[in-house]
Amino acid sequence: MKIYLIVGILACFSAAYADQETLVLVDNLNIRETHSQFFKSLQERGYSLTFKLADDANLVLSKYGEYLYKNLIVFSPAIVEFGGQLDTEAITKFIDDGGNVLMAGNSAAGDVYREIASECGFEMDEESAAVIDHFNYDSLDEGDHTRIVVSPKNLINAPTITGVHNTQPLLFEGTGLILDKDNSLVLPILTADSTAYSYNPKNQVKEYPHAVGRKTVLIAALQARNNARIIFSGSLFFFSDEAFNSPVSKVHGDKVKASLSGNKALAVHLSQWAFGERGQLRVRRVSHHREDDKQTTNTYTITDSVVYRIEIEELKNGKWQPFEANDVQLEFVRIDPFIRTTLKRNPSGVYEAVFKVPDVWGVYQFKVDYDRIGYTRLYHSTQVSVRPLQHTQYERFIPSAYPYYVSAFSMMIGVFLFSFVFLYYKDETPKTKKKVPLLAWKRCVYICKLPPSEVAVKMDPSRRQRTQTKASAEEQALDQIAKEVCYHIYVAELLQLSLSNKLHDYS
Amino acid sequence: MTSIASVIPKLYQEYTTKTAKKLKIIDAYLLYVFLTAVIQFVYCCLVGTFPFNSFLSGFISTVSCFVLGVCLRLQVNPENKSEFLGLSAERGFADFIFAHLVLHIVVINFIG
Repeated sequence: MKIYLIVGILACFSAAYADQETLVLVDNLNIRETHSQFFKSLQERGYSLTFKLADDANLVLSKYGEYLYKNLIVFSPAIVEFGGQLDTEAITKFIDDGGNVLMAGNSAAGDVYREIASECGFEMDEESAAVIDHFNYDSLDEGDHTRIVVSPKNLINAPTITGVHNTQPLLFEGTGLILDKDNSLVLPILTADSTAYSYNPKNQVKEYPHAVGRKTVLIAALQARNNARIIFSGSLFFFSDEAFNSPVSKVHGDKVKASLSGNKALAVHLSQWAFGERGQLRVRRVSHHREDDKQTTNTYTITDSVVYRIEIEELKNGKWQPFEANDVQLEFVRIDPFIRTTLKRNPSGVYEAVFKVPDVWGVYQFKVDYDRIGYTRLYHSTQVSVRPLQHTQYERFIPSAYPYYVSAFSMMIGVFLFSFVFLYYKDETPKTKKKVPLLAWKRCVYICKLPPSEVAVKMDPSRRQRTQTKASAEEQALDQIAKEVCYHIYVAELLQLSLSNKLHDYS
Repeated sequence: MTSIASVIPKLYQEYTTKTAKKLKIIDAYLLYVFLTAVIQFVYCCLVGTFPFNSFLSGFISTVSCFVLGVCLRLQVNPENKSEFLGLSAERGFADFIFAHLVLHIVVINFIG
């Protein structure tokens, strides 16, 4: 029973450390002895180290497209060319695919080192150049003033990378690095003092040194965009047992003395960071919903109150635990961030923000972009749409809008009334003119029905005047027309044409 | 200046005598619509644009009514008979009513 338990626990451990395969490239296997403390600390933390000579003809990083190692340590400054399938390109690809690299050189390091360094954004000083500091060298220095003492104050302010308790002075012997200021991914972990410079200690200084003062970077780091980590140290000696164990006593200046250098603590911390034991963040869960309902949705209405929750975890001692910080921010972005707010941490470890959706509709994203020195970049975005109010959601009958309502309705009533007026209106003027020919026609018909002898009587104006004393202007006009018509009829009758029948037809 | 002073009474006289009465009815209607628009605009300037959609629909309804009224006037005017050959005044009025129907549906929809 006990054996099963132990096997089970071992299986758990082996699963937990499955990604801790590490390849160590060395000049000669002697380095295993001279740097034993560093390697031992790695092995104690669960890394399985594979030591290989850097010019081994069978060197491979990957097999069948799978990487054999998660981490790579290069402690071989004397190498001219890597053996096997390993070269600068292979290492660069290894980093691009997420592999971590720890590299340490010295003043004798060759062009391979320079190539890899420049691929990672560092620049290594020329061959045989070393960092020299005539004011901050150790008492055990051999006369070149290259075994320099560096104060822990020169460390970058990033506890995740360097650890918290760095009080002991550090020993360094090796070449200097120069960083490009514009490269935001590169970090100067440790810089030299202002009195240091990088030059060949055997030669007289004739040219201006490449690296001078605080710009001389001793240890640099890079966290790539894929969160691969690279530590590049100019000194292999920095990681050696000798540097770990030796006391420090500065010859000049403030006479710093320490029974033990701070190298070991820093080296261990740097390796922890480089191989992803610390500063790893991940998003565990994201949820968002309207404040008044618990259901998550991907459509919000303008001016809704939204609750956004995100759980962030940090890798601590091999376990994912809730991450604690007070500067995680949320952005609500539609091309530009419309809202940027700090997420509040609940006691339960969930980061939460409650905010009001802006009064502008469109497609938005919840974005959490947490990028801090030493931590993996945490980026999470969720897309939601924000729509305008539904037709039924608008405010109705606003008092100040009543004039507009009245106006709109008065326009309708206006058209209604106008239609009646317009349609039923008729001009009266032409009525009288049309009556004249009709009456004249009737009179003609009447006259035509009389025998011809009576026509003459009817047409006699003197006789007519005697019978009808009064005659209106209208009747006179009628008579005039009738007279003309009857005259023609009279003439026609004289020609013995029976017009009376025809007139009947017309009428 | 003198010419303007002499033109205006003449214009008025010509209008009162020569314009058909039907057109005068339309003109009265247009004047009423125009005054409503002006009142709304002044009110909006004084009170602010808060229910902006209401203001827009109220104002635009008056403007559209005015435009439609002017169109009707153009079609009914006997002097423009050559422009609208084959289109009777009754047809023009039917178009006017149809356009109004569409307009007021939109206005009520938007007024909130």
